[in-house]
Amino acid sequence: MKNRYDELRRSSWSMPEGKQKLLVLEEMIRIADRYMTEEDAYNARTSYFAAAAEAGTQERMITAFAWCLAKYDQSPGSYSQHEIMWYYKWVIGMIWRFPVFRLEQIEAVFEDFKRRCIEYGYSLRTYYHKRSVYLLSRGLTQEATECYKQWRTASRDALADCRACEQNAFGHYLFSANQLKRGMQAVKPILDGKMVCRSIPQATYSEVMVPLLKLKQYEEAVAVGKKAFRTIKGPQFIEEQGVFLEFFTVTDLPKAVKIYNETIRYGLEYKPSWERFNYLLSVRLFLQEWHRKKRRKKLVEDGRVTLDWLEQEIASLADAFNRRNGDDYMLAYMTDKETHMSRMIEAFQQRVE
Amino acid sequence: MKNLNFQVNLQGVIDLLSNHLYSEPGVFIRELLQNSVDAVTARKRLGHTFDETVKVEIFSSHTISFTDNGCGLTEEEIEQFLARIGGSAKREDQDSADDFIGQFGVGLLSCFVVSEEIVLITRSANEDAEPLEWRGKPDGTYSIKKLKRQVPVGTTVYLKAKPEFDDYFEYYRVSELLEKYGQYLPTPVMLIEEKYERTINESKPPWLMDKPEAMAYVEGIAYNKPLDIIPLTSVIGGVQGIAHILPYAVSLQDEKKHRVYLKNMLLSDRMTNILPPWAFFVNGIINTSSLRPTASREAFQENDLFFAVRDELGECIKRYLIELANRDADLFRRLVLIHYASIKTMAVEDDELYALFIRHLRFETSYGELTMAEILLDHRLVYVTTTLDEYRQVARVARAQELLVVNGGYVHDLDLVRKVTEIAEDVTVDILNTLEFANQFEELDLEDRLTVQPFIDQSDALLESFQCRSLVRWFEPADIPVLYNTNQDVNFFKLAEESEQRANELFADIVHVIRNDLYDTPYAKLCFNYNNPMVRKAMESNDPQLRKASIELFYTQALLLGNHPMGPAELRMMNDSLLQFMNRGLDGAEVAR
Repeated sequence: MKNRYDELRRSSWSMPEGKQKLLVLEEMIRIADRYMTEEDAYNARTSYFAAAAEAGTQERMITAFAWCLAKYDQSPGSYSQHEIMWYYKWVIGMIWRFPVFRLEQIEAVFEDFKRRCIEYGYSLRTYYHKRSVYLLSRGLTQEATECYKQWRTASRDALADCRACEQNAFGHYLFSANQLKRGMQAVKPILDGKMVCRSIPQATYSEVMVPLLKLKQYEEAVAVGKKAFRTIKGPQFIEEQGVFLEFFTVTDLPKAVKIYNETIRYGLEYKPSWERFNYLLSVRLFLQEWHRKKRRKKLVEDGRVTLDWLEQEIASLADAFNRRNGDDYMLAYMTDKETHMSRMIEAFQQRVE
Repeated sequence: MKNLNFQVNLQGVIDLLSNHLYSEPGVFIRELLQNSVDAVTARKRLGHTFDETVKVEIFSSHTISFTDNGCGLTEEEIEQFLARIGGSAKREDQDSADDFIGQFGVGLLSCFVVSEEIVLITRSANEDAEPLEWRGKPDGTYSIKKLKRQVPVGTTVYLKAKPEFDDYFEYYRVSELLEKYGQYLPTPVMLIEEKYERTINESKPPWLMDKPEAMAYVEGIAYNKPLDIIPLTSVIGGVQGIAHILPYAVSLQDEKKHRVYLKNMLLSDRMTNILPPWAFFVNGIINTSSLRPTASREAFQENDLFFAVRDELGECIKRYLIELANRDADLFRRLVLIHYASIKTMAVEDDELYALFIRHLRFETSYGELTMAEILLDHRLVYVTTTLDEYRQVARVARAQELLVVNGGYVHDLDLVRKVTEIAEDVTVDILNTLEFANQFEELDLEDRLTVQPFIDQSDALLESFQCRSLVRWFEPADIPVLYNTNQDVNFFKLAEESEQRANELFADIVHVIRNDLYDTPYAKLCFNYNNPMVRKAMESNDPQLRKASIELFYTQALLLGNHPMGPAELRMMNDSLLQFMNRGLDGAEVAR
């Protein structure tokens, strides 16, 4: 069985991110669980984390993480504390994205993470960072702002994202809080090419496109769009792909069709989540524009993804979030998004005319 | 308020620039060549007519000199050139005369890597300029004096080797480096040692060659004949060049090594990114006049212009391929054959290339290996699996059902097959759901169904704990007793089960939600083939023990054949069922004896 394990591991190295790779890693974990040491099983899971996140199945990452956290707690000497906390950071960034989890569960996870940060001597910077994003997704602007301040004042340490990623996260936060100009200021060093890492500036492009359109800086937006839409790929970025889909729906419909055809498969495979919700909102905007005219060209999955179906899916997701949050913020969120989009389409079309 | 300047340690800065900017010591040759060529260009701009030359002379005791008859330097310019270092890269107009001074200084610094002192004799092309001697040391000190003797217009740089860099001052080494960097420079470069003299740059640059010349040239340097030569041009980048198609397959992981010249001077012979990443079946030799080099002059600044040029060069390769397909079908096929992996990646990325190549690409299908052209010839409905395992589970049976199933488990194949509707509108591509695959087989008639129902019930009960459900159908080929399809989530479920058991209370609860609210319990399917004699025999048996052993054997055999990992319970099951049959058989044989 060790042979099979090694063979699977070898083949996993050359695989692109996605379902096939996930299956291989899952089989490896199973083999490791049965026939190998606990350490092997632990390591097999840590290599699964990134693959699961990149395949757009964050719930699988959380599932495997739960096992590792338990093992870590049982024998903290055997495993890296920094590693487990690093992935824990991912978990608190993901968990609120699924409406199936109850608020108490989410709060308890945040609390547990915070407790560990204090206990292990980490700064609370990461905690406040992730928490502010979560609070904002629930429309709790005031609480989020409080968190944002704490995030920016807490000291940086080994648990924090790299500087470029954090700079991008500041931008993300400010854009989500609709502070567009401050957001643009925050990401300026990235757009000027002064901060780069493995995922920056690609990740920043999708952040700034809609704000640029909102700020009526059409030329800049189009330039960024052209540069950026090839740089992000794969199921992990479905929400970002949604942004591109919206953007090209407004500026260049054939490109939007291409993005739709390439990404809808991932969108459909996503479990009910924040990503799926936002992506489907983008798809709805695209389909509405698409169906304004009669078209000969057929879209991928056109039997399944109809406007009616989208209405239902979106409504049920919005409802799931509202039920979990105990309010009706998602309605405001959607209305807000729609108003912005229609204003943008209008403005852009006027510009073209 | 007082404005003050930072105090910078000059020696430290010189050390930093000279020893850490460049990747290897040999670049001082390139920098000196560049300075000479720039000086010649600057003098031409003044309107002088002269026979431009650069002379490199090798003396005994590891000393060399670089002499040009370019514009030379005035005392004021000499004073400036060190002051301008660092300011130079920011100037907008790279070709302006000021900038020449700044670049000159940076270039000269590289000499401190190999030499403890630089001596420079120069006379400016300005009228009445006096000859000057400048001596500089790496600690930042220098002296200037006026010379009494007459020297011609131009500059000579003398260097004496540091002991550890002796060999860079030997004839063979200097000659090699001059050729490497300067063999295509427009200004004649002469290498002189005692009486022996030769010109370094007589050859014609490859980007000016016609195709047969370029083919011969590449064969000469690469020791194998390229498949073909693709001319490259970019107007915005002022690029001329060739890309030679490699006659052997290269790995996607290999670093590309393109040779890139800036205004005929070699910038790098291992540049990775001047051509688009999909173009890894070619090596490029490229000369540009307008891309901006980085401070070390070993790479380009990766600005918008750089990427625009790269795209333009990519277009050249694409246009060539499209044209080749029409012009030389034979060569086109060879190209596809050799650079298969590269072409697949290209086809996924680019619609035009997809349309060009897709019919030539080969896929593993239930009808054997076929090209897409062959697939489209006979089939309007194409199934594709998302993984290798799924394909293996259904391939044989699918063939017997006359279904065309493509294995989408290999890199890019799924995407390539799904896109085929873009070039063939009457074709439908469906992703095969292996679990529902068996449902399409022929059902038994009512009577048979009633007869086999107890057998199916017994099988369901036996395999419930392995999360496997049973059904029976009549299908081809007859020699397959059962078709076993796993649910792809089955391993994940085991993993989730483990997690829920082991995790702390908080996370056990979370995993519980994932298992129950986000996923359905995944059942595998075991479809018995009523067309298979063994299955028939087992179903007809009245002995419940024998039926049990048969079901267990069918199930575990299916696991073995499908390469599925077996748990201890499944292993025990296989052994027990085999033992049953052996007991029966062997006991029977003994009785018979």
